[in-house]
Amino acid sequence: MFLLEALKKHAVQIPERCALITAGERLTYARLWERSEAFASYLNEKHPVKDPVMIYGHKEEDFLCCMIGALKAGRAYIPVDITLPADRAEQIVADAHPCVIVDFPGGGVGADSGIPVLGADALAQLLEEYRGREVSSHTWVAGKDPCYILFTSGSTGRPKGVPIHCDNLTNFAENLYPFCDPHEKEEVYTNQISYAFDVSVVSVYIGLSLGRTLYSLPKTLTENMAALMETLGRSDVGFWVSTPSFAELCVTSALFNGELMPKLHTFLFCGEVLTHKLVDTLRQRFPKARIINTYGPTEATVLVTASEITAEMAADERSIPIGEPLPEVTLLVTDETGKELPEGERGELRIISRSVSEGYFRRPDLTQKVFFETQDAQGKTVRGYRTGDACYRLGNQFYYCGRMDFQIKLNGFRIELEDIESNLMKIDNVNRAVAIPVFDGEKVAYIAAFVSLREPDGLPPLKQMLKIKEAAKAYLPSYMIPRKIVVKDRLPVNTNGKADRKALAAELSRP
Amino acid sequence: MEETVMNVLAEAIGTEADQLDADLELFEEELLDSFGVISLLVGIEDALGVRIEPTEITREEISTPAKLIACVQARM
Repeated sequence: MFLLEALKKHAVQIPERCALITAGERLTYARLWERSEAFASYLNEKHPVKDPVMIYGHKEEDFLCCMIGALKAGRAYIPVDITLPADRAEQIVADAHPCVIVDFPGGGVGADSGIPVLGADALAQLLEEYRGREVSSHTWVAGKDPCYILFTSGSTGRPKGVPIHCDNLTNFAENLYPFCDPHEKEEVYTNQISYAFDVSVVSVYIGLSLGRTLYSLPKTLTENMAALMETLGRSDVGFWVSTPSFAELCVTSALFNGELMPKLHTFLFCGEVLTHKLVDTLRQRFPKARIINTYGPTEATVLVTASEITAEMAADERSIPIGEPLPEVTLLVTDETGKELPEGERGELRIISRSVSEGYFRRPDLTQKVFFETQDAQGKTVRGYRTGDACYRLGNQFYYCGRMDFQIKLNGFRIELEDIESNLMKIDNVNRAVAIPVFDGEKVAYIAAFVSLREPDGLPPLKQMLKIKEAAKAYLPSYMIPRKIVVKDRLPVNTNGKADRKALAAELSRP
Repeated sequence: MEETVMNVLAEAIGTEADQLDADLELFEEELLDSFGVISLLVGIEDALGVRIEPTEITREEISTPAKLIACVQARM
């Protein structure tokens, strides 16, 4: 496993360099190695069956140590962010059967499952107890062993797991290194996105394997712009990895510029549409930095395209391209039958690459619908994935034009609208629910929901909205709760008897 | 001015201006989050030409519609 091999080398050659800075705490490469060895030793001794490890938390220092420890013990980790409500976390516990759950906030996840749960203190004690113990590299993940399983929004209302194995990640890293100056040197990467979302994989797998320092920007910081700018100002970040949304939040402050962050030389964006507006602002504020746009679904290991945005692309009236395929990747724009369409025509994007996952965790039914196998030029079997993204190609560049189904991206989060709907319908007095994305240009600005009730509640509209939002917190993470909720006596239906989304969307755009 | 601010706020929250009490707790009731604040500030700048630097205010200073209006007034 390339990351573990690199970390082993760093622990000897640059032991005192910081691997991670979180809230002023500095985790050196030596300590990351030692603590992950201790966790791996514990796993190998107490949980010899290589079931995954579930880690519930946010940006705790030991979160990273547990992730690396799991890899050393030859098993996958399942990172779950604290924004997930208990109900949803329990569904993941039930589906994934982890051998152990690390619960940093102590929220009681998996308490009734019979699975051992380690709180932050118990974990710290255990890492002390196993300190100095070492595991053999024979127990490390390798080949087709899954490294992580990310649970993402599923259209049935239950999250689905995407396992990514060692070979997927090796291929991903080899494809992306040329964009990251692949020489060992001191440099700081942002570590902003929750480990439960795969944009974080860029910093963890690329950054750490190159001996870089990850600078954590926890969620609480985004609530205080003055503190966020002050933190960025002393972070020394050179390589910025985030969703466009996080950068959009930062540019609302006039302080966010090349003077605040003089070392910043690269922005790498992933996870959602990069707008012209953001590109123009960043080019003005950070004239020396290059902007790289990338694209990829979790199912194909973070990203499969990348391109530096040139002045021509910024000036072009077409949308910002999602990039050209990375060296090993084949991208095809296809019709419904899978036949490749000519240049310039819109169709569904299919990805063929060694970065494509084996399929959804224990869901062969879902896997069969969107994953496929094909032969490469040498006659070797490679996996493919139907993205559901509508795209077209011009030359080597690909352009995104929206979804072919009800999946959306909001502030970088991938959301199935049907997932929101089926969870809203779990609320006691809710009869039917329809979720509608509201666009601001090419991006989703927010989600609105229309709801019909079983019994009229006689409340004024704002009170109704607040009551449903409060109840929704039991089933949905906050980023999936619609900003606007409108209660209607009846929801309009179209001739097929399905909710008339067009009519509802028109109602929202009416002034 | 007050009416404009209330309309922008209602839009950022996803409701109508007549639903908003002057003392409604916007953050406690989880009506606004980080992205909601940004669309609010951008909306105010677009509608009134008043720019509020996000680093110059705390959540406490705009935690109710009444406080928000005072905050805009002070910058006009």
